[in-house]
Amino acid sequence: MKTALNGHTTPLILSAKNVEVKFNLRGKTLTAVRGASLDLYKGETLAIVGESGCGKSVFTKSFIGMLDKNGYISGGSITYDGEDMAKYTTEQEWLKVRGKKIAMVFQDPMTSLNPVRTIGEQITEVITWHFGTEHEQAKREAIELLKRVGIADAEYRYKQYPNEFSGGMRQRVVIATAIACRPEILICDEPTTALDVTVQAQIIRLIKELQKELDMTVVYITHDLGVVASVADWVGVMYAGQIIEYGTVHEIFKQPAHPYTKALLMSLPQLGVKGNDLYSIKGAPPNLFKKIEGDAFAPRNPEAMEIDFEQEPPRFDITPTHWAKTWLLHPYAEIYRKELDSAEHKRKISATKPEKPFGYKNAEKLLQVKNLSVNFKLGGKEFKAVDSVSFDIYKGETLSLVGESGSGKTTIGRAIMRIYNSNVSGSITYKDENIVEKMSKNETKKLHMEMQMIFQDPMASLNERAKVDYIISEGLYNYHLFDSEADRMHKVEEIMQEVGLPKEFSSRFPHEFSGGQRQRIGIARSLVMNPEFVVADEPISALDVSIRAQVINLLNKLKRERGLTYLFIAHDLSVVRFISDRIAVINKGRIVELAECEELFANPLHPYTKALLSAVPYPDPDVERSKKLLTYDRAMHNYTKDKPLWTEIKEGHFVLANQAEISIYRTEMEK
Amino acid sequence: MEVKTNEAKRPAAALNPLKFRAAIYNNMDSEDIGFSNYSYWKSTLRTFFKNKAVVALVALVTGMIVMSFMYPIFSTVDPNKVSMLPLEWNLRPSAEHWFGTDTLGRDIWARAWYGCRNSFLLGFCIACSDVGFGMIAGALWGYNKKIDPFMIELYNIMTNIPSTVYMVLLAYIMNTSYITLFVSMASRGWIVEARFFRNRILSIRDSEYNIASQCLGTPMRRIATRNIIPHIVSLIIMEAALCIPYSIGSEVFMGFVGVGMPVDAITLGNIVNQGRASFTLHPYQMLLPTVILCTITVAFYVIGNKFADASDPRNHV
Repeated sequence: MKTALNGHTTPLILSAKNVEVKFNLRGKTLTAVRGASLDLYKGETLAIVGESGCGKSVFTKSFIGMLDKNGYISGGSITYDGEDMAKYTTEQEWLKVRGKKIAMVFQDPMTSLNPVRTIGEQITEVITWHFGTEHEQAKREAIELLKRVGIADAEYRYKQYPNEFSGGMRQRVVIATAIACRPEILICDEPTTALDVTVQAQIIRLIKELQKELDMTVVYITHDLGVVASVADWVGVMYAGQIIEYGTVHEIFKQPAHPYTKALLMSLPQLGVKGNDLYSIKGAPPNLFKKIEGDAFAPRNPEAMEIDFEQEPPRFDITPTHWAKTWLLHPYAEIYRKELDSAEHKRKISATKPEKPFGYKNAEKLLQVKNLSVNFKLGGKEFKAVDSVSFDIYKGETLSLVGESGSGKTTIGRAIMRIYNSNVSGSITYKDENIVEKMSKNETKKLHMEMQMIFQDPMASLNERAKVDYIISEGLYNYHLFDSEADRMHKVEEIMQEVGLPKEFSSRFPHEFSGGQRQRIGIARSLVMNPEFVVADEPISALDVSIRAQVINLLNKLKRERGLTYLFIAHDLSVVRFISDRIAVINKGRIVELAECEELFANPLHPYTKALLSAVPYPDPDVERSKKLLTYDRAMHNYTKDKPLWTEIKEGHFVLANQAEISIYRTEMEK
Repeated sequence: MEVKTNEAKRPAAALNPLKFRAAIYNNMDSEDIGFSNYSYWKSTLRTFFKNKAVVALVALVTGMIVMSFMYPIFSTVDPNKVSMLPLEWNLRPSAEHWFGTDTLGRDIWARAWYGCRNSFLLGFCIACSDVGFGMIAGALWGYNKKIDPFMIELYNIMTNIPSTVYMVLLAYIMNTSYITLFVSMASRGWIVEARFFRNRILSIRDSEYNIASQCLGTPMRRIATRNIIPHIVSLIIMEAALCIPYSIGSEVFMGFVGVGMPVDAITLGNIVNQGRASFTLHPYQMLLPTVILCTITVAFYVIGNKFADASDPRNHV
């Protein structure tokens, strides 16, 4: 048993011991959580980190009895308020706790909100349901709550429906509903993953404030180590249904012990050195069908020991507050551990030389976009998704297009790929040929061979009913790029090898792969055409942190080996810094700033760029806690008389600004 | 770093120090996430047949279909044989006539199966034409934005004219026959199916994997056969299953209002209608045809709906 000596200063309120959760799936029994233990103390913030599919959501859902109907707790105990909740069987018992004492905030706010009822009614209902408060009183309380979570004009907003709120606002409403009963424990399951970075920062700040005010225990479930660094006091790392390492946030970030934790931290693009390969975790996390023996992480760990494959490691205490489950901490492994440490040290020293920046002097323009506008009709009204955007892409560079959702970045990518037939105006010139106009069959074919696209969502971008073999060969079939069946198979196997997938997988269907593997299949599909120019539409934003490194490395490797040019679309500035030569920041359909990568990070000028930069979570608890958050509001520009112009303020550094702003920026840069 | 074992499951003595050295790394193992035994069609069928009632209904319907097609081949009873002897009219059920005879002395058991066969044939034909044309029209409709306003208007007009009025009118204009019945039902059934498929195809059309195919320059034909049809096969089956009881029901209804098939044709509609005429005196004459009719309609509806549920991957647990 843990005592007050373990670093916690407040009383223990929930204790989960060796929890085991099983699912019945298609006639099989699968274990999703394999004996995970966790203690929650009053007023603390715990973050549970891990790749998707490691059971972190299922584990915490078992605290409030919200497992899917084919899942059940098959072992262990969850002690809360003197009762073992693992023994609860009826809804009635759970309702005493769920929502009232332990509340949950989900990733997608719309799963918790009813679209056909006003948000006010929904909050009021929670209050009257749990406390039996009278309607008028409950309504007053609900309005107070809305004000508390930062919703302006709460009386008016009370009567609105969820669809009238933006994503961030909805999440605020969900938080208001969750704290309506003043719960002791608030579980936030990826509360900000679906939101833009600037909104994410605001929501995190809100949860922090509320936690202090209501003295709640907050559990964050996330795969974003930046978020963890900014919010958590304690961190539990989860892998394959077990907590494998637990400690204070500083211990986990500064002295990780488990190879998996180390690998997670090392694979962050924020910590990479440009031009070198990022450290990446090999392979993919096991799914529930895989039989696990020994240390679950061993097959993906190139430095695993033989014992890792045979026996499950016990828990080793490193300090009173820090423990991990890995054989590396066993006294027998001491020599090997030292070897690893010195190898790691050497690697760090050798990998500090950054790459030379891209030479723009002699570069040749591959693609020119001039005054590109894309209009859409929505409910009879026309709106501009992209508003006269101009930029050039040089051969061999990576240009990143960064902006929040709805900024039109994907639309630009798709316009270049000629997916919208009409509603595009302006010109896009690829190798001296305007590709906006109608083209002959031959020209289209040539374009399809030279320009390819990688998609955002690996789950949606592969045809579920086709085998990997067909998916990869689709382009080959279309233009008969093979001599014989054997030649085609050979090409498929070659490209699979190149993206790091065993060629035996070619007869499988997409659903048998994890997100990262599916994304690599998507990359293979476009690369088998041997393109020169690739539009990568948020290829890593739907992936886990650990898998991102694989894909980033792959894209970089292909760029080096094949001399590819990328238009890289992303919403996260931290990632693009590692891979891009130039960055364009886009807001509401207009590019507001464009500069070489390091220049943009050193001298951001446009207030929107600054806001974006400040909102990016950085995976270091010290940096993250001393950070100041900037916000951007379009109203801060006064463009009524003095119209903004696309100006080159310094060689290669463009900004959208009017005369007054340009002079301010100039003085800023001289400082 | 001071380390001590906390809750080791095995005693430390059992550990072999030699095992604490680097193992061989295998790329194949790291990529192997565990093979799930999932297959869309297998799971759909498993979910479908997990329900005992569905198994019973499928067996029942299969039995009825087999019976209605086999009976006319093997039976020697002429369903149209009219008896001149009033003694053989309106007989109660007996060993010779299992369900009795009607007002003209015709054997109801035999007539029911002949009628069943004809109704099934009609139902299948209409289901094929409705779903077939509907799918083609729906695909064109879904893929071509220009014809969308026109098709929506057409849909509104066609569905807003009450089907009874339409069918009755058509039956008056043309002579009553199988062809008339088929034309009157098939000529308006397709538009409902077309709209259904149009909505489904619209959602598939803009999905990312289709845009990916577009970027790869995949021709329309292959997009249709590889990207779209495999995703709607289950819908086609479901719609066809729901179309059959509807057409059989419509035929019976037309018989009721008197514009169905000519009186000498044996269809479920005619048999039920004739049974109705003598219902007050001889209620058993209506019994068998009605029971068969109800069984077919209910069974097909349940099977169609259950199949729709089973074909949804969210229900594959």
